[in-house]
Amino acid sequence: MTFLLRQISFTADHREIIRTTKIDRDAVTIGRGAENDIALPDLAVDPRHARIERHDDRRIVIVALGTLGFEIDGRTVKRGEIDAAKGAELGFGGHRITVTRDADGQIILTVARVGAISDTAAEREEATAYSLKGLLPGKRLTAWLLVAAVLLGFLAWPVWSYLHRDRDDTRSIYALKADHRWSSGPLSQAHHALEGKCEACHVKAFVSVRDDSCKACHKDVHDHAPPVRLAGARAAPDFTGRMLAKVAQTFGKPGAGACVDCHTEHEGAGPMPPTPQAFCADCHGSLKARLADTKLGNAGDFGASHPQFRPLIATVPGDTPVLARASLDRLPTEHNGLKFPHRLHLDTRGGVARMAQTMKARNGFGDALVCVDCHKPSADGVRFLPVRMEQNCQMCHSLGFDRIGGTVRTLRHGDVPQMIADLRATYRSNPPSGPGPGDRRRPGVYAPGQVYHAYFGPGGRPSNADAAIRAVFTKNGACFDCHVVTPPGIGVGEGGGAADWTVLPVHQPMRYMMHGWFDHAAHRTEKCESCHSARQSSSADDLILPGIKTCRTCHAGESATAKVPSGCAMCHSYHADAGAPWMPSNTRARIRSLPIAVPATRSP
Amino acid sequence: MPRPGKVALHEGFLRHKSFRWLKIALVISLIAILGYALIDVTPRPNGGSPYGYTLGTIGVLLILWLSLLGIRKRAMTRGRWSLKAWTSAHVYLGLSLIVIATLHTGFQFGWNVHTLAYALMMLVIFSGLYGITVYAAIPGYLGTNREEMTQTQMLDALRAIDRQLHDAAQPLTQRQAELVRHSLEQDPFGGGLIARLSGRYPRCATLRTFDTIRERTGSRPDIGDDPLERVDALLERKLAMLAQLRRHLRLKAMLEIWLYVHVPFTFALIAALTAHIVSVFFYW
Repeated sequence: MTFLLRQISFTADHREIIRTTKIDRDAVTIGRGAENDIALPDLAVDPRHARIERHDDRRIVIVALGTLGFEIDGRTVKRGEIDAAKGAELGFGGHRITVTRDADGQIILTVARVGAISDTAAEREEATAYSLKGLLPGKRLTAWLLVAAVLLGFLAWPVWSYLHRDRDDTRSIYALKADHRWSSGPLSQAHHALEGKCEACHVKAFVSVRDDSCKACHKDVHDHAPPVRLAGARAAPDFTGRMLAKVAQTFGKPGAGACVDCHTEHEGAGPMPPTPQAFCADCHGSLKARLADTKLGNAGDFGASHPQFRPLIATVPGDTPVLARASLDRLPTEHNGLKFPHRLHLDTRGGVARMAQTMKARNGFGDALVCVDCHKPSADGVRFLPVRMEQNCQMCHSLGFDRIGGTVRTLRHGDVPQMIADLRATYRSNPPSGPGPGDRRRPGVYAPGQVYHAYFGPGGRPSNADAAIRAVFTKNGACFDCHVVTPPGIGVGEGGGAADWTVLPVHQPMRYMMHGWFDHAAHRTEKCESCHSARQSSSADDLILPGIKTCRTCHAGESATAKVPSGCAMCHSYHADAGAPWMPSNTRARIRSLPIAVPATRSP
Repeated sequence: MPRPGKVALHEGFLRHKSFRWLKIALVISLIAILGYALIDVTPRPNGGSPYGYTLGTIGVLLILWLSLLGIRKRAMTRGRWSLKAWTSAHVYLGLSLIVIATLHTGFQFGWNVHTLAYALMMLVIFSGLYGITVYAAIPGYLGTNREEMTQTQMLDALRAIDRQLHDAAQPLTQRQAELVRHSLEQDPFGGGLIARLSGRYPRCATLRTFDTIRERTGSRPDIGDDPLERVDALLERKLAMLAQLRRHLRLKAMLEIWLYVHVPFTFALIAALTAHIVSVFFYW
């Protein structure tokens, strides 16, 4: 029985060469070693790998001789049996042996190398092998994937979420909302609750934010002036302004005067910044040129262009005083119904100072009176309370006129008929005893428990009620000294005046600048005298309000290098009301923390 | 020698027309910075001010034009709008975009589509900057490393060593033959992206085969007819050849890698820009 061995090899130009050998034995060996019948130069083959035995005409058994197996028709085995008539394919490393039987009954073993001897030997596209192709996803694929991801995540999803939102969206502002990825920055503190609720302001897609959105919440914000006046007041834009306006109009932005014109959003968390001066100066800088009938002076910059203050003052005193605005340039006086020389009270060497010294312990006075001894700030510190007889004057200006036991009786302040009745009642029973009305006051006897007396003028104690009443209401009397008194029957009106003595009501406004805001608390770093020249004032009619020149020693326009750069919004509100102009809370906090030059109350 | 007034042929796109586009880009950047400094945008500079919209429009037009280089480069021409001039402008105007776009942001950044577009743009610009740097530096190294061999020759050299290794290993025992086979079956281009870029192949089969064989051969004298000694010498040669090839591959990879960022992310940037612009007008 013979094996016919056909070894196939290839030339460099891929031509096939077949060598045929006849082996006249029943068994042949296969291996890498040269001594084998079939020597395979293949490192994956054992030196003695297997033996092929022919058992009869058809049956062939293949047995592995070493530890490595071989393949029969693709399956790896250590021992196998095949029917030569049906044929089989054996695999040894990179070689293939095809087993067939020819017509003469010879077993033909066709040996061919199928695997390359090394990886490098394999054909490869050099341009690809040397490049990064295959190591990275292709540029085109990456590009498409990225484009799809960006467009889906940042365009399609937000648009979808806008279109499919519940009308009543109750989700938290921190919930994930696709269109929140469109927000160009955090909303200001006041609008923080609207974060993520884009449609609250951006009501319609591709339509810019309208005033209606703002007014949906800000219902009570009124216009700065009637729209016709506003339109007339606006300066005609220059070339750039016209161009910008045209562009804005083309893109559907609302015109001038819209809320968003001044109030910009998405500028960062924290308080909304105050409106810049330019927004006001645009109109007010040259207002007179366009609104001829306006009562307002041109104002463009506090330091450079701002009219003198025009406080609201009482021109005619009385129960309902006649009020009018007057420029401080005209040095107006205000008759407020009092006779009060500031100079006398603030004099550091006069009788007042002497008296204050004696009352140091009880009233906490210093060597002389200072403003704060009589003027008390309001609770918010913005203004000063009206001076009250009982709290601010009476510690010196005693109204005591009688003593019953240990109690000193005082003339009733602020109620003339009652005061007159009291005096009459006193004289009807027993005239006042002890050091009573008529004595000169002596310094040092004004402490509690000491004998007090009202000042009834010279000439000793009146002997009857009418005389006492006349005494307090006339020159050197307790009332007359400070108040404007009208005797009975004097004056105009029905019946030729009042039937009894009357006192002109005192007018003490807490606010003079009705359209500007002045906050005394913000000026705690200053002394009162820095602005109010009270020491030089010897008449209560003097309006010791500082003019704009005084303010300008510290304040100037928004972009000035002054100590305090001051935009319009520091004192004025666009949506003006009686309250303070809006101010960022951090600015307010900074002002609150300023050091105090003059204590609001004197410590004992 | 090039005659005066005539452009030398080797003048690169960076030096094109004595840095004409660099100068233009610098002027554009300076004007943008000056405008930013002089125009007082309240309450703070932002992309939604008139100046912001101007810079944004310039930026988006510039980006679209810059991305057209991909189309333009496929048609090489000479003259005023030669490909070289175009590339020079691409580089310098692209760099000026750093200034224009950053000023457009008004330095307001956040986790939103607007900053996404900006970040993608910066990624594209900086990958391009990297590209210019390697284009300037790496060809020199490539030439030194090649030692006048072409890529085909390098691969052929490896093939020759492999054939000899295969022959030399025939007398070896099965265990040793197996080791050599590992080296033969190793893909010289294998190892993945990181190995390509770092040039480090810690699990190189040839190196391990060499180490194991060297353990056997190192301690005994070379008497000349030991097949293992021949294999040892061949493996050493193969390692040297592999090292050269890998340096070559590394340099090539560094030359190529930036385009895998620059190109796809340009498309991502255009997508993000689309979303950025649509979103601005959507919530106008």
